Amino acid sequence: MNKNYDVVITGGGAVGAACAYFLSREKDLKVALVDFKKPGNASRASAGGLWAIGESVGLGCGVIFFKTLSKQMNEAKENGGELPPLRPHQLPDFFFDFALTSNNMFPSLHEELREKHNIDFKFEETGLKFVMYDEHDRAYADQIASGIPHLSDQVKWLNADELREEEPYVTPEAIGAMNFTCDHQVSPFLLIDSYTEAARQNGVDLYLNTMVTGVETQGNRVVGVRTDKGTISCNTMINAGGAWASQLCEWATGHTIPVYPVKGQIVLSEKLPKIMRGCISTSDCYIAQKDNGEVLIGSTTEEKGYDTTNTLPELKGLAQGASKCLPILKEMNIKRTWAGLRPGTRDEIPILGPMDGIEGYINACGHFRTGILCSAITGTLINEIVRGKETTLDLKPFLYDPKRFEDLEPPFYG
Amino acid sequence: MSTKNQQVIIVGGGAAGISAAAQLAEFGISSKIIDEATKLGGVVYRGPLRHTEELPHLDEFYQKSQKSLQDKYHNNKDKIDVQLETSVIGPDGANGLILSDQKSLSSLNYDYLILSTGCHERSVPFPGWTLPGVMMMGGVQLQIKSGLVRPGEKMALCGTGPLLPLIACQLHKAGVEVEGVYEASSFTRLAKEAVALLNKPMLTLNGLSMMSYLKRNNVPFHYGWGIVKAEGKEAVEEITVAPYDKEWKADLSKARTAKLDSIGIGYGFVARTQITQLLNLEHEYSYQSSYVPRLSGNQRSSKDNVYVAGDTSGILGSDGAAFEGQIAALDIALRMGAIDAATHASRTNKARKGLQRVRNFRFGFDRFSERQLGMLDLPDDDTVICRCENVKKSQIDAAFERGVKDITSLKMATRAGLGDCQGKICSAYCYDRFKQAGHAERMGQLRARFPVEPISFAMMED
Ligand SMILES: Cc1cc2nc3c(=O)[nH]c(=O)nc-3n(C[C@H](O)[C@H](O)[C@H](O)COP(=O)(O)OP(=O)(O)OC[C@H]3O[C@@H](n4cnc5c(N)ncnc54)[C@H](O)[C@@H]3O)c2cc1C
Ligand SMILES: Cc1cc2nc3c(=O)[nH]c(=O)nc-3n(C[C@H](O)[C@H](O)[C@H](O)COP(=O)(O)OP(=O)(O)OC[C@H]3O[C@@H](n4cnc5c(N)ncnc54)[C@H](O)[C@@H]3O)c2cc1C
Repeated sequence: MNKNYDVVITGGGAVGAACAYFLSREKDLKVALVDFKKPGNASRASAGGLWAIGESVGLGCGVIFFKTLSKQMNEAKENGGELPPLRPHQLPDFFFDFALTSNNMFPSLHEELREKHNIDFKFEETGLKFVMYDEHDRAYADQIASGIPHLSDQVKWLNADELREEEPYVTPEAIGAMNFTCDHQVSPFLLIDSYTEAARQNGVDLYLNTMVTGVETQGNRVVGVRTDKGTISCNTMINAGGAWASQLCEWATGHTIPVYPVKGQIVLSEKLPKIMRGCISTSDCYIAQKDNGEVLIGSTTEEKGYDTTNTLPELKGLAQGASKCLPILKEMNIKRTWAGLRPGTRDEIPILGPMDGIEGYINACGHFRTGILCSAITGTLINEIVRGKETTLDLKPFLYDPKRFEDLEPPFYG
Repeated sequence: MSTKNQQVIIVGGGAAGISAAAQLAEFGISSKIIDEATKLGGVVYRGPLRHTEELPHLDEFYQKSQKSLQDKYHNNKDKIDVQLETSVIGPDGANGLILSDQKSLSSLNYDYLILSTGCHERSVPFPGWTLPGVMMMGGVQLQIKSGLVRPGEKMALCGTGPLLPLIACQLHKAGVEVEGVYEASSFTRLAKEAVALLNKPMLTLNGLSMMSYLKRNNVPFHYGWGIVKAEGKEAVEEITVAPYDKEWKADLSKARTAKLDSIGIGYGFVARTQITQLLNLEHEYSYQSSYVPRLSGNQRSSKDNVYVAGDTSGILGSDGAAFEGQIAALDIALRMGAIDAATHASRTNKARKGLQRVRNFRFGFDRFSERQLGMLDLPDDDTVICRCENVKKSQIDAAFERGVKDITSLKMATRAGLGDCQGKICSAYCYDRFKQAGHAERMGQLRARFPVEPISFAMMED
């Protein structure tokens, strides 16, 4: 195995596979993708939501970490304490651009992969509804809306009757919903599979089930990737190692990067007839019915290292949150549960692009809770960087810069 | 050291679990057996634990073994707490289990845990294998033992190993017309010990051996033959069988058909390791039993206070299972200070010798019955491999063509193993495909997920 590649991608989750696909579209570069599925790899564990606005404003996956107002009120009441003056957690504008640009790519990407490669990752236009149970939820939603005036055409308010009309299985207790009409979903594992298979059809060599064990360098230049099956030479290495990216970076550059695992647990129902038109986020959890009828409920945000065990209290929390929103679930079965490890960063922004003073090395990691959604734009940007082209979006806020993380508080997840 | 309050939990009340509990009881140690079945005894001895039943068509070895298992339990009843109709569906924290009784969930902590969850039957897909009337041997046996219903009017048995002639005799005695018995391996592979067993006279067969009984009653027994396909409109009506070569590849030029209303299929067993997996014990690939937990000397797993005994650690049959349960119990008794090192050593040695005898004896049969991969060619493109997710053979082939080298990627690409049974049925076929493609070493394991069996959302309410 002493082939020489232009590019070797280490890590074949949504991000690595997207990079492989976008790099292979012109079929001119010699590209290899190396991946070994470590327990908890994020892409397969994910919900597959393309919740560009929802996630950017702290709903969806963010809902448990950035408690909604009603949750904070309840807890303050229970603890007899003051209500902390917390506003919805909103990511910076450049992240909205990043997420929305990626989101906009999906319809045509879906077409392209179906037509050129005969594969379907089940893109579904669903919207994401924040279902409100009380006035606190409404106040929270109002605050969210006021934070994103430029996106008001993507926000649709539903009163209780309209919500019932659209989602007849949602509890009659709900007082309405805020619908992000551009937030959709895919089947996450079919998405990775599609990127990977299309890349393969375009000539990318796949080294699956292959563990990267080190990186070969000459001076400050990366010249190859060591694996348990031999060394692969390359001009450029792309680090798409998910929650394990820091190790890969250290091998390549001698420096770690602040990417760390953030555990999320998921509950999945048996296959059900269609009971949801769109995806839902409440103050307890998010709920998405996937293309095959299974209802997926997520997710916790826990810092427990590389632990991927499921724990009953957390699973109960998710299941109860879902039954509260969709009472019909109480008559249904839970089929399986799992946990995945998001590649977290302190500022929740991915780390993309080259590192100062290092040749032949590019980061594509730290996608935290939106790596499925942001895989398309990441693949696009990384392809542009490799080819030395002008990038579609300004790369600066995403570059690794120790200062980026300096003043941030250490993360605090349950 | 105070060990009074230490809790020993045993999951699975078959030969292994009951032996362990009885051994612990002998040294004054109480334990608790959890079993999802309605009766103790495990897959083989469950039925007969009912005192009322007369089962004249079952052989005397069987009757003796079940009596001895039954006695073990009854003589130690006061030290063995039994909780039936309760499934262990996953771990709870570091030293706990989550239990389900179909209505609610509870958790149970342990200081020592013995997992003796047995095995299930290996599914072998062939065209028509999902038709009603195509049964696994266990199902056939269950019906014979229940004494109530006959599995069919006219049946054939296809598979391998000593269960084939045994069940054929039982079926015949129960009044079923046995069209034929098709043993995949050729007679020349049979070891001496195995021949001896088959030729051993049995009281229940009027002093005849199984083979003579079948012969006398004109039940044809074909060595080196096996199933090709089953056909029928609503249920099986006709099967095709053919000679198998050394690799168990069917020679279709010599195939023939038989009209009947049901068949029993038995090509071996797979260790039941959902719970051992969920506890994150280390496992290793075993060609015979799929994946088994990696154990050290005294049935101890990679987790210090967790033991695995019986078929869960590799298929050895009920006598072997009983010895393994005993060895685990002895180790726990030593660690709890209930016996001294000398007693432990001598008793363990004795049990080990017994276990070795079982192994030596089984070896002949296991080699004879070693599954060959030629059978992987039986399914057509359209044959369903994963019944839960309706995944066809052609989809599995396509994934292999695309270079899939591990079981998880295969699962994600095809959905095989993602259904309600969590791959219990299709994983054996999928592992064999990787084995055939030369990837067995690194294909990984189809990971069990909590809950091992579906639970309702209502059970998750507080
Ligand atoms: C429960 C949960 C729900 C989520 N829901 C959503 C959602 O709805 N929408 C969304 O957009 N995002 C969601 N996310 C986040 C999303 O899953 C991640 O951001 C994304 O999957 C990250 O992709 P990745 O390719 O960087 O990482 P991964 O998918 O983890 O891929 C990294 C790969 O690199 C491999 N690897 C690491 N080290 C090595 C090595 N040394 N050698 C070989 N291979 C190696 C890993 O094993 C892995 O296969 C969710 C995450 C979780 C956990
Ligand atoms: C269908 C079938 C038929 C067989 N027929 C024969 C035969 O005729 N002769 C023969 O010698 N061998 C036979 N075997 C092999 C036989 O299983 C072993 O010889 C012997 O029973 C092994 O004993 P054990 O204690 O290891 O497991 P078992 O006897 O299988 O006992 C395991 C017990 O664990 C329980 N259990 C499993 N998982 C859970 C859980 N998660 N929660 C709670 N309880 C659980 C089960 O209900 C079962 O009672 C058969 C096996 C099967 C599967």
